[in-house]
Amino acid sequence: MESLLQHLERFSELLAVSRTTHVSPWDPATVRRALQWARYLRHVHSRFGRHVRIRTALERRLQKRWRQEGTSGSFPVPGLTNFQALGRCDLLLSLRLLENRALGDAAYHYLLQQLFPGPGVPDADEETLQGSLVRLARRRSAVHMLRFTGYGENSVLEDSVLKTQAELLLQRLREVPKAEGEGPSRFLSALWDRLPQNNFLKVIAAALLLPPSSPRPQGEELELGTPKTPGQGGQELVRWLLAKSDVMAAFCHNLPVGLLTSVAGRHPELSRAYLGLLTDWGRHLRYDLEKGTWVAAESQHVSWEELYGRFQSLCQAPPPLRDEVLTALESCKAQDGDFQVPGLSIWTDLLLALGRGS
Amino acid sequence: MCAHCFLQCLAGPFSKMAQDSVGFSSDYQFWMQKLSVWDQASTLETQQDTCLHLPRFQEFLRQVYEVLKEMDSNTIIERFPTIGQLLAKTCWNPFILAFDESQKILIWCLCCLINKEPQNSEESKLNSWTRGLLSHILSAFRFDTKEVGLFTQGLGFAPADYCPGLLKNMVLSLVSELRENHLNGFNTQRRMVPEKIRFLSRVCIPLVTLPDIEPLVEALLIYHGHEPQEVLWPEFFDAVNEAFLLKKISLPISAVVCLWLRHLPSLEKATLHLFDKLISSQRNFLRRIECFLKDSLLPEAACHPAIFRIVDEMFRYALLETDGAPEVLAAIQVFTRCFVEALEKKNKQLKFTFKTYFPYASPSLVMMLLQHPKEIPQELWHQPLKHISEMLREMVEDQTHGSYGGPFECWFLFVHFGGWADIAAEQLVMSEAEPPEALLWLLAFSYSPRDRSLQRAQTMTEVKAVLGHLKKLFRSPTLSAKDLQAAAAESQDRDPRPPLCQKLIRRLILNFLLWAPGGHVIAREVITLMAPTDELTHEMTGLLDQTLYRWDHLCMEAPKSRKLARELLEELCLAGTAC
Repeated sequence: MESLLQHLERFSELLAVSRTTHVSPWDPATVRRALQWARYLRHVHSRFGRHVRIRTALERRLQKRWRQEGTSGSFPVPGLTNFQALGRCDLLLSLRLLENRALGDAAYHYLLQQLFPGPGVPDADEETLQGSLVRLARRRSAVHMLRFTGYGENSVLEDSVLKTQAELLLQRLREVPKAEGEGPSRFLSALWDRLPQNNFLKVIAAALLLPPSSPRPQGEELELGTPKTPGQGGQELVRWLLAKSDVMAAFCHNLPVGLLTSVAGRHPELSRAYLGLLTDWGRHLRYDLEKGTWVAAESQHVSWEELYGRFQSLCQAPPPLRDEVLTALESCKAQDGDFQVPGLSIWTDLLLALGRGS
Repeated sequence: MCAHCFLQCLAGPFSKMAQDSVGFSSDYQFWMQKLSVWDQASTLETQQDTCLHLPRFQEFLRQVYEVLKEMDSNTIIERFPTIGQLLAKTCWNPFILAFDESQKILIWCLCCLINKEPQNSEESKLNSWTRGLLSHILSAFRFDTKEVGLFTQGLGFAPADYCPGLLKNMVLSLVSELRENHLNGFNTQRRMVPEKIRFLSRVCIPLVTLPDIEPLVEALLIYHGHEPQEVLWPEFFDAVNEAFLLKKISLPISAVVCLWLRHLPSLEKATLHLFDKLISSQRNFLRRIECFLKDSLLPEAACHPAIFRIVDEMFRYALLETDGAPEVLAAIQVFTRCFVEALEKKNKQLKFTFKTYFPYASPSLVMMLLQHPKEIPQELWHQPLKHISEMLREMVEDQTHGSYGGPFECWFLFVHFGGWADIAAEQLVMSEAEPPEALLWLLAFSYSPRDRSLQRAQTMTEVKAVLGHLKKLFRSPTLSAKDLQAAAAESQDRDPRPPLCQKLIRRLILNFLLWAPGGHVIAREVITLMAPTDELTHEMTGLLDQTLYRWDHLCMEAPKSRKLARELLEELCLAGTAC
């Protein structure tokens, strides 16, 4: 058992190195050894897939490694994050080496010989490395054809890209070491700091809207990028959003109104926070007697039109949310003094505009 | 013409064009030119042309690999200085990369270009360039916006990780859009323009054997737009049909029916493909024929009358061309059985009356023929047989009544339900009574539909005579082969029996052997006498197989007869070239 764990460690290091320039001194023999190690681990995966104790031990070791690397401040995600990944570790290694320009010509030549032995090998068994690589190439060109040689507007396909990113995010969230319970939050905060934020927000919304699904049966194989329990990761996301007010503000500010309404409909805790923000924004508007409208006190505040638009969208949502919104508006109106006349309380005016004032 | 020759004739126009290698170098020039024209296959014309040439180009790539693998990198460049261009252009044409095994062969070719010890900067550059192309095929991925790439990298995912998931999501979203358009017509939020659907069908042509694309193929087949003309690309149907026949794609029956209804050549090819399997030179047992038929989905698809009529037409043609070959007859019979079975399963939604399937036949006759012998007690089987015989006789002998198509049409209808003739033959031998004229007529008609009344009457008389002899021998305790030979012998003072009549008599003798109490003792001897040639042995095995098949389906209890039949069948098969 211990030797197996050590093997895992060494291979993880190898995988990390395979992307760097440290491979330049490698010769064919090194490549051969590396591929052998990968094959061995893959064999371990198929052999011990249903063996819970060994599986857990391996996963724990991988998580420990991730935690160690995480605390060092840099932000790598290791190549092997869970037991499943062992099933494809030879594929991962091969692809990294293939892309690595630092790999010498002789080593590269040897690698190609190993990966693509030619027609002699019966390829009916899709499990061969050659088969997997070729299938990947074919799928890649399928994506390209459906997307880039696309026809006209591509909003449907943009959604697929968002959905896929969302699935990836949730998968990582599931894998992040949770020992202190802070793992996921820290991870998400790090992502927020480093990645393009606009896209990140859209992905979070997509992740929050993924359909909930049944629990994953034990020991079943998963293709990376197609998680079956997105619901789990969703909770972590919500918790993090609620804890980070700046992210929440950006989330509510930048995303399209309809999308926010859908998210609020799915996640009651978020709807409360969203409402809170909206009421906050509402309080920053002042009534301009001359113009006869509500205006923002400062330029960065949200305008009347935008506020109204959001409330309108929320009121078109199905019952639990719609009722919650109306109740909140009513109570705000009451707090303000329950005016019936327009121009005195923004809440009265909103309700009037929405057709629900009385 | 025999069945096998018939098939060769038909196969002619559909066979692949022989690759006349006028020489590898001229092929090379040809493809180089094509690739230049196609470029990245971004226009309608280039896409269409590429799709038409995909299989041939793949063959060419294979040839290229065979040539390249014998040489080392430098020799290759010397011999084929433009090979780099050829391979690069191939890489940049996504339709080629997506097709079947082309990407694999291309990778092999590129591997041949890698030099393991480059001696100078030229060779190094070539290596570098080749590596770039390999990367392009295997791993490079480009998103419309940088942000997405950064996101996936930031999470530690490589294209290899998310590509399958992305493809799945794209297919799912396209499928749901198609379905929405199909169901809601003009009321959808996102209307799919016909050009987009046509484009999708083009894109699917090289991808048709990739399992991830199956849902999209299915959705396209089922989709009905609102334009009067066909919106899908015809080559799309061809490609799907090919893949389906070679079992490289699995589709539900509803999608296959749509395919065949929308594209007639596909249906014809599918039927011919089936004929090929059924009527091969090797003897196929009826059970196996039934498997092939069910597998092909044709009987189930034939529940749609248009499909039934076309397939039936092809059977009719085959029957005429082969002059009633037994293999074709057997195929028709099993096909009809499977078809009726499928129809009954859908009986709850029975939309079409039988007239739509057999428009030229008398409805009452069809209903009679469709009856299940299983549902009638065995003692009463002679009743429907008598009715069928009378109805057919009336139609055949009534010259003025042209509306039911004449003798051939009547016969063609009858052979669909050939089981009745088999039952008649059995009844005649088993029953103690005088053979009813109706049954005699029915058998004579089924074996020899073209006879004139006089010939038929003669046949009936002969058969009656033989039956008379056989009845006397039925319960004889001292049955011998010679007795049987005498019973079946032709009388000297008459014209020799026509071959079809002889065939009928052989059949009756076989039935006799299976049912007579003393039959099993002399069975082998008699058969050797009766079937000395390969052809006749072939006939005997066919009859035995047919009998066993029928008994199974009628759930007939006849342990001794069954055992004998099975043993005889085994022995005949082992003994000769008949199986």
